[in-house]
Amino acid sequence: MMRDIVVIGGGASGLAASISAKKKGKDVLLIEREDTLGGILNQCIHNGFGLEVFKEEYTGPEYAHKFVEEFMDLKIDYLINTTVIKLDKNNDDFIITLSSKELGIKNITARSVIISSGCYERTRGQISMPGDRPNGVITAGSAQRYLNINGYMVGKKVFILGSGDIGLIMARRMYLEGAEVLGVAEIMPYSNGLNRNIVQCLNDFDIPLYLSHTVTNVEADEFKKLKAITIQQVDERFNPIPNTEKHFEVDTLLLSIGLIPDITLLDDLYVEVDPKTKSAKINQAYETSVKGLFICGNSLQVHDLVDNVSKESTRAGISASDYLDGLVKDRKKIAIKPGKNVLYVAPQYLDFGWEDKDLLITFRSSKKIEKAIVKVYQGEALVYQKRRAFIVPAEMETLSFAYQELNQDQDLMIEIEEV
Amino acid sequence: MKEFICIVCPRGCRVVVDDNMNISGNQCKRGEIYVRNELSNPTRILTTTVKTIYPEIPRASVKTSEPIPKGLLMEAMKEINKVTIEKEMKIGDVVIENILNTNVNIVLTKEIKRKEEEK
Amino acid sequence: MYDYIVIGAGVIGSCIARELSRYQLKVLVLEKENDVANVQSLANSAIVHSGHNPEPGSLKAKLSVWGNKLYEDMEKELDIPLIRTGAFVVAHNEDEEEQLIELAKTAKINQVPEFSILNYNEAVLIEPNLSKTITKVLSLPTTKVTYPWEVAFAAMENAIKNGVEFKKNALVTAISKENKKFQVTVNNKKIYETLNIINAAGVASDDIASLIENNVKFKIKGRKGEYFVLDKRVKGFVNHVLYPLPTELGKGVLITPQVHGEILLGPNSLEVEDKYHPTTSYDGLAYVKEHASMLAENIPFNQIIRSFAGIRSTSDYDDFYIKESLEYTNLYHLGGIDSPGLTACFAIAKYLVNDVMNVDQKYNINPNFDPYRKKRKLFHRLSNEEKLALISEEPLYGNIICKCEKITEKEILDAMHGPLGSNTIKGIKKRTRAGAGLCQGGYCEEKIMKMIAKEFNLSPLEVAYDKEETKLFVSETKVKL
Repeated sequence: MMRDIVVIGGGASGLAASISAKKKGKDVLLIEREDTLGGILNQCIHNGFGLEVFKEEYTGPEYAHKFVEEFMDLKIDYLINTTVIKLDKNNDDFIITLSSKELGIKNITARSVIISSGCYERTRGQISMPGDRPNGVITAGSAQRYLNINGYMVGKKVFILGSGDIGLIMARRMYLEGAEVLGVAEIMPYSNGLNRNIVQCLNDFDIPLYLSHTVTNVEADEFKKLKAITIQQVDERFNPIPNTEKHFEVDTLLLSIGLIPDITLLDDLYVEVDPKTKSAKINQAYETSVKGLFICGNSLQVHDLVDNVSKESTRAGISASDYLDGLVKDRKKIAIKPGKNVLYVAPQYLDFGWEDKDLLITFRSSKKIEKAIVKVYQGEALVYQKRRAFIVPAEMETLSFAYQELNQDQDLMIEIEEV
Repeated sequence: MKEFICIVCPRGCRVVVDDNMNISGNQCKRGEIYVRNELSNPTRILTTTVKTIYPEIPRASVKTSEPIPKGLLMEAMKEINKVTIEKEMKIGDVVIENILNTNVNIVLTKEIKRKEEEK
Repeated sequence: MYDYIVIGAGVIGSCIARELSRYQLKVLVLEKENDVANVQSLANSAIVHSGHNPEPGSLKAKLSVWGNKLYEDMEKELDIPLIRTGAFVVAHNEDEEEQLIELAKTAKINQVPEFSILNYNEAVLIEPNLSKTITKVLSLPTTKVTYPWEVAFAAMENAIKNGVEFKKNALVTAISKENKKFQVTVNNKKIYETLNIINAAGVASDDIASLIENNVKFKIKGRKGEYFVLDKRVKGFVNHVLYPLPTELGKGVLITPQVHGEILLGPNSLEVEDKYHPTTSYDGLAYVKEHASMLAENIPFNQIIRSFAGIRSTSDYDDFYIKESLEYTNLYHLGGIDSPGLTACFAIAKYLVNDVMNVDQKYNINPNFDPYRKKRKLFHRLSNEEKLALISEEPLYGNIICKCEKITEKEILDAMHGPLGSNTIKGIKKRTRAGAGLCQGGYCEEKIMKMIAKEFNLSPLEVAYDKEETKLFVSETKVKL
């Protein structure tokens, strides 16, 4: 049986995309590899979710629950404990190979696919952290899951590398559950976590934050268990500065060193990838370079707020539906490029074949800028601008404007001017 | 003199309070209110987990229904850690009423419901 | 009372154990680690060299050429993964080209069955990402790449099947000889008696020798080698093993395609004080990057998923030291088994057992010796039809545990049981590759932990990464001890 839309991943993104697509009358099947829906939200027991979407502050599980309830009410078809092991395209149709204990290995076909498979954590191996390789170095998200879902502490004397939100949240969490948290090191000269987390997770508990520092050595004991780490200050090129070593005896080093979109499902398809987002390039309808293949949520770009994941994925679900309704005609695309002070933009293409959608661009600045003007150029012409009092790389920005009057031959460029 | 980072909005103003309790550095009124609270009675929402008797749901997440005094956080953790949930419950259900006499409840933020095959 | 005690269960000890099991002998293998192949055999390039560069006439030369050939047989008998990559040794200028010719002469004397010199234009046709600075290459088609710990597992499993006993977590702490028998003390507690001892203890082999000898004839100088692992998505970036010209430090920084698709860059070669802690370093890894770049264009460094280091047990003796002790009869040492140790391992075992120890003249053949080790199915490599057939018998083949490497629940269960089964996270990773891929266990470690707890009736608090001191968790929250 050919499905209209298969959504891969049942976290915040997949739930929102399935809901909007189903509301548009499409047949949707959602595939989730865990035994429950909700994704990473299930382990994010802290507050701070839903301020935009629900105008109320929720914890992760509460936010997930609201979407799961709506998902169930709409009676959307779904499979849990099921892994997608291959994604292929044959002419216009997608072949999705599923694997589970119940189904065995099964191919299903769909007219379109939405990828909402989230992201994975950067590991120690990917940053080539020097030293021994003992047990006791673990990503913050893994430690969070062990702690919040299973109830196990991975250590009692903890140091954290990376001051992004997950690192800060785990500093507090481990402290509250009785661990000694000796500090957080951050290689940049500023933290890219939310200020509220610096206050509520570090300052509240007198946990020191070492900016412009990184871990330069890991020591194991004779059983290959972590026994100590060394951190060092780094210069502007992130090279360790000699004689700035600080030594900490710990049994756990939590890593909060970045999230990477999981696009491994795209391995067997030829999809254009943006090295800056580390994900597929998309047009404004969240469609990749493969027609009918959509991507949204953390698989597309790492978000700071789940509210934006939900909004983005809701739009992607509608786009998939429009695609199936044959509403995309006369495709013609121009590129959208990151210019001065812009780290990346998404979408990377504007396709004039998709009608009636405002162009919504998400981007991040490459540095902290106060009193900024965001400008969008088409060639020499300034087609849009917006003032911002304050822009930081840690917060994803959006801008939105009607695009139908733009010419269809020249690329767009986004840049941020400092006033 | 004391310095605070206001957490009310992403701007994160550095707000300074001098010895005469004059507040400066905030770019809006909410910053002043936040800092006055921080000086007199800093409060926080506590989010944590609680044990259940169900092996497939070893922990369920909970939160304080309102912020509680910051100084009571570790005490509150101790109280919450004593509890074991022994029945199915819904999000918002009270797990501990009036924790440490604050008039604040500990409420469930994750539904505890067993799947058919686990029963 | 044993006929032979083998100290060390790396590839060398395991192959020796298997070779001994061809005879009617009582054999015990003692391994200090919590698993077979946990030290040197765990951290190397995985290459089965052609035998092109050891000194002609040396044991290294003879046993590596012979060992390379034996891999062909062992692939079938023991079901060892093997890829026939071939290799290029590269030259960048006239000076190096002359050295290449000398190397070819050595290959010829060592009886390497196939080799030829190609110029850049010919080589780049079959190896498109070859560095443009290369002028000529020495092609060595008999070079292969294997999966080192699988070699050890296979040999030891087969040895155990044929009657060998194996004890892990067994550190030899004392050796003495009385009444023509050796007394081997393990963990300062238990004493085993044996007629013969084979010291295959790798980096610790000189320490083991010094437990009984007054004048150990070889000294192990640890030589560290650091590596990068590139994710298997770069498979095909290079197809051959690429070598620079060898120096007295060793074979140099190589680029090596691996059996499961990843690519290794490395190793460097640095003498170290502490031969038990192979650490990686900024300088070492920078050196590897710099030198690997001389071999290939546009190395995808952004695909690095891991770095690691190993210690070679290089000795002060110029060749493999495979001799009977000069102080005690029936005590045999294998010292300084660094490169090409993995290449030569099967040949080393035969050489030791037949030529050095003359076992065939002292003992009868074991009539029940079965050389075959059962084929292990790598599930994700099967066709959809084969998969469906297996799943219909065993539904747990349908449950993917490691999504990065596509490893199933059944494969992990199989790896837990059996004579060389494992109940540790690391042991499962070595046997199945679960946790060795892109996310490095971020997704699957929790699931594997739960499986270990269930299968071995353990509390999750008892599940360890490797040795029992490396438990995953220190406590359960909210539970009074």
